[in-house]
Amino acid sequence: MDADVDLLAGMPRLGPLFARAALPSLHRGPARLPRSTAVVTGVRQDVARLADYDRVCGFRVRDAVPPTWLHVLTFPLHVHLLSGPESTIRLAGVVHVSNRMRLHRPVAAGEVLDVSVRAGNLRPHRRGALLDMVGEVRRGDEPVWEGVSTYLAPGARVAGEPEEVARPAVEPRSPIAQWRLPAGLGRDYRRVSGDPNPIHTNVLAARAFGFARPIIHGMWTHARLLAALDARLPAAYAVDVDFLRPVLLPSTVGAWWQAERGGWSAAVTSRDGSRAHLVARVRT
Amino acid sequence: MAGLLERAFTSAPGRAVASRLGLAEPPVLRRGPALPDEPLVLASLAGSTLVSDTLALLGVRAGEPLLDDGPEPPAYPGRIGGIVVDARDLRRIDQLEALRAVLRPALRALAASGRVVLVADDDVDGLEARAVRQALDGISRTVGKELRRGATCNLVFVATGASASDLASTLGFLLEGRSAFVDGQSWTVAPRLPLSPSPTPTPFLPPSATPAAGIPAAGVALGSERGGGGRRGDARGDARPLAGRIVAVTGAARGIGAQIATVAAGQGATVVCVDIPAAGEALAALANGLHGTALQLDVTAPDAGERIAAHVASRHGETARLYGIVHNAGITRDKLLVNTDAQRWAQVLSVNLEAELRINPVLLDGRPGGLADGGRIVGVASTSGIAGNRGQANYAASKAGVAGLVRALAPELAPRGITVNAVAPGFIETDMTARIPFVQREVFRRTNSLSQGGLPVDVAETICYFLDPDSAGVTGQVVRVCGQNLVGA
Amino acid sequence: MQLPRTPVVVGGNRTPFAKAGTRYASAGNTDLLTAALDGLVARFGLAGSELDEVAAGAVLKHSRDFNLTREAVLSSALAPTTPAVDLQQACGTGLEAVVYVANKISLGQASVGIGGGVDSASDAPIAVSEGLRRALLAANRARTLPERLRALASIRPGHLAPVAPQVVEPRTGLSMGEHQARTTAAWGISREAQDELAAASHAHLARAWDAGFFDDLVTAYLGVSRDTVLRPDTSVEKLAALRPVFGDTMTAGNSTALTDGAAVVLLAEQEWALAHGLPPLARIVDAQVAAVDHVAGDDLLLAPTHAVARLLARQGMSLQDVELYELHEAFASTVLATLAAWESERYCRDRLGLDAPLGAIDRSRLNVNGSSLAAGHPFAATGGRIVATLAKLLHERGSGARGLVSVCAAGGQGVVALLEAV
Repeated sequence: MDADVDLLAGMPRLGPLFARAALPSLHRGPARLPRSTAVVTGVRQDVARLADYDRVCGFRVRDAVPPTWLHVLTFPLHVHLLSGPESTIRLAGVVHVSNRMRLHRPVAAGEVLDVSVRAGNLRPHRRGALLDMVGEVRRGDEPVWEGVSTYLAPGARVAGEPEEVARPAVEPRSPIAQWRLPAGLGRDYRRVSGDPNPIHTNVLAARAFGFARPIIHGMWTHARLLAALDARLPAAYAVDVDFLRPVLLPSTVGAWWQAERGGWSAAVTSRDGSRAHLVARVRT
Repeated sequence: MAGLLERAFTSAPGRAVASRLGLAEPPVLRRGPALPDEPLVLASLAGSTLVSDTLALLGVRAGEPLLDDGPEPPAYPGRIGGIVVDARDLRRIDQLEALRAVLRPALRALAASGRVVLVADDDVDGLEARAVRQALDGISRTVGKELRRGATCNLVFVATGASASDLASTLGFLLEGRSAFVDGQSWTVAPRLPLSPSPTPTPFLPPSATPAAGIPAAGVALGSERGGGGRRGDARGDARPLAGRIVAVTGAARGIGAQIATVAAGQGATVVCVDIPAAGEALAALANGLHGTALQLDVTAPDAGERIAAHVASRHGETARLYGIVHNAGITRDKLLVNTDAQRWAQVLSVNLEAELRINPVLLDGRPGGLADGGRIVGVASTSGIAGNRGQANYAASKAGVAGLVRALAPELAPRGITVNAVAPGFIETDMTARIPFVQREVFRRTNSLSQGGLPVDVAETICYFLDPDSAGVTGQVVRVCGQNLVGA
Repeated sequence: MQLPRTPVVVGGNRTPFAKAGTRYASAGNTDLLTAALDGLVARFGLAGSELDEVAAGAVLKHSRDFNLTREAVLSSALAPTTPAVDLQQACGTGLEAVVYVANKISLGQASVGIGGGVDSASDAPIAVSEGLRRALLAANRARTLPERLRALASIRPGHLAPVAPQVVEPRTGLSMGEHQARTTAAWGISREAQDELAAASHAHLARAWDAGFFDDLVTAYLGVSRDTVLRPDTSVEKLAALRPVFGDTMTAGNSTALTDGAAVVLLAEQEWALAHGLPPLARIVDAQVAAVDHVAGDDLLLAPTHAVARLLARQGMSLQDVELYELHEAFASTVLATLAAWESERYCRDRLGLDAPLGAIDRSRLNVNGSSLAAGHPFAATGGRIVATLAKLLHERGSGARGLVSVCAAGGQGVVALLEAV
């Protein structure tokens, strides 16, 4: 079965979309997701924004782009799909619980790409429903990057028994690195990612969702961890992360990584390493 | 922004039309060095044991075939991963019935990305025998077109005297996912050329030359990961057949060239990545990831061959020799012939053909860093060169020229144990194909038996099959990596 | 161990140099230096290798980049256990870093290392004003809220303007161009001579690029594959049309442009290099630094003449024994004043303490593949660019050919080195 294709003339602007995505869903029936795949072809990368992104996340400025940057390229389509009429789930309020991505080969900043995202795998969860946003970046038929963002939509109703999702257990261990995240980091990452969710920049918005202070975007933390591994990462690899606990701004966090067979395991933790914010596995 | 036609093709109604045109979502191909998960079947039609010996050598078990000799064709109990038919000693038209009888049940049971491999005699005498030989080719190509879900059919001709060990690399390649985009092809395996060299020692040992923090070099896993879900891919005992050997790849910075270098390095090769200086940053990143070296060089430079050899000799010592050279650098300057000026004509011929013609003799003259006896020369031709392609007279000339060069050079270098072969890629997704106008691209991409474009890794795997020391009996061949494109032979 | 051992240049790599604020505007010093290192590593197959030391530096450096070179090493394909040091001697940085590694090799403290430098005028650190700095420090020290508020209240709007770095001599308040304008006038260097030198620099560099000379000396970065300051089509006539910016004769055409770039040189002990498949291009024979008292009126950028005189005396050589001369073109008139000084009996006697002038040189052997006027001058990167270029040129000429590198630097300093083809 071929899914419907929603071919957009260009990347949607996030501001207006997000205003719609931010309205809480009043829908009370079973949750629905859009069936179409959102596609933008011929995407040219904004090299200046990429360099800014590299700096905000700690990457070196290179011709080859970080895989998390390709996620950033797909993100407007996440918002597009979850703000459309076919979706009863709104992006505001959903929680990014895990992310898997694979970089098939180095992607150069100058490459013109086709970007697509579809929503799927809606399934019940103790606190609502889980769903996957499946992104793909191609050059023609050649997939160069794939990514699956799993979101939790609290309160969404889906028929069936909630499936217990195993969250990785992380043993406390002393961090190798300690990063100080300034209060303005949410604004910096908003600038480079285009994600305007005020929960990352505004205290009141953060409080509305139960956080004492703004929290940094999970994808920044993800990117920062990959940037720390830097030259130790191969040309092509897969990385899976679980977002376990949000990081409030400002704060100081710890991080560790360890080479293991076929890749790395790594985590961003509390400053003392006792609790994990994010755990990651890199596979080559 | 996408062109109107492109949008039409990818919009919902456009998709519906496309679907009726047979342009539905293509099957996902099994790739990499894995055998099919499902069991294999071996059928020997006239008592030859060559294929069964070869499979034994490869450590691959194969079951008995079912025969369609009753009122209803028999059914296999489950899917089969592939059927290998030993059709040697077939000389008469009536013997072809045996082939039909084993294929009919097998094709019905063939799994996704399954394999049909026919093995036949190359050298036959007599009118009927020669007609039968050609008939097999017709059957193979037709089966390739009838198969669905990513399954392929190929035919191997075995020359007189070739043994199981000569056939092993070819059969292993065809059964594994490495040959994913090779379909409807036939080529010849001969007894191996003498003089397979011992690996060239590389005196260069940098201080503590260990990969950073225990992470394998990029791409190592691509070439050396063995086996799929079911059985391990045992088709090749040595996952690093190129260990200790130096292989130079031109046009290596991106696309197919980067994949060739990556797969070769994954199979153990020390790679010399060659590309023009303007591609330097990507070239350096690739070479560093593969623990090889980068050589910035325009292959059309008059001293290109000298500089490749000098680079090898300087990095690896005066006694070091190149084991393989892959002439992958290529450009397109497409225009209808009526609009092609002398410059467009010359540029393409110069990069794609003349450079190779000039570099080879230099590497073959015995100088330090030149090509070793028992080495490998691999060219990159194109289906455009075989079938012609509108707007590509210059490109077709150059690529057909590569095929011609391969056939001419192979016998000349056989006494030195050097094999000369070429791949002829069809539609492969690369920077170059991205420049083809959309409709032409989409049609070109879909009009093959696998309904999709190939990937750079498909070409790279085929090239590394030529590079394999065990492929010493494969020379003078041009193998298309085109998913059995409708155009061309 | 036999001492001293022979340090050799194995090869080099640099990024193409780009006019400041253009193609590399988004890249910082660490990015550029990493790119230069990675290109070198790829050229010589050093991925994952541990070298004895990498020495480099930058003139315009953020305080956060206190460990610039080490950070670049960690971002590069070299083994993370490769140590690194940051050095700085203004525009002499790159050459001084090469000399530092060469000296360690001579002394047996290292067998293989990298010397070089980087500068990004685009990524120049913008400092807060002194007033703001004092107020913030005071607020930080304050123990009570009122004290803190008082400290912060002392901030004036003018304090908030950022302070861009200036290439000004702290003791004279003159920019380098203004200093050089005095030297130019004092030595009577004509506009025509300066424009001719600049035109020759562009012509030589363009010819070298076209001949593929830089194929194994430069690695493209961020889509730039040639020096962007280079104007292959410039001419004495075009340069003559430019308006003077320093003094009466110095224009943007015969002065170096602000440039971004990085350059590194691979150095090794000669025997070690041969044993490890790294054929040497040239030996580092000797080096010398010198300084002048520009505060008392000496020519700011002629310090290298003193260094050259000492080096030649130590080597027992005449200036004419040198086959190739690489004189960094800070300004065309710097090179011309240097040549004039070498020829001046009075200067050589009074300033250099020589019995006879060093004499004239064969101009056809000067900067034969262009220099900073055409390539650009990312301050600390220039030394590495020149050493790698000269080593390759000497090697092409054949064993024994000697070449002189002379780089002037801010603060009235000069670094020179003598290379000899292997």
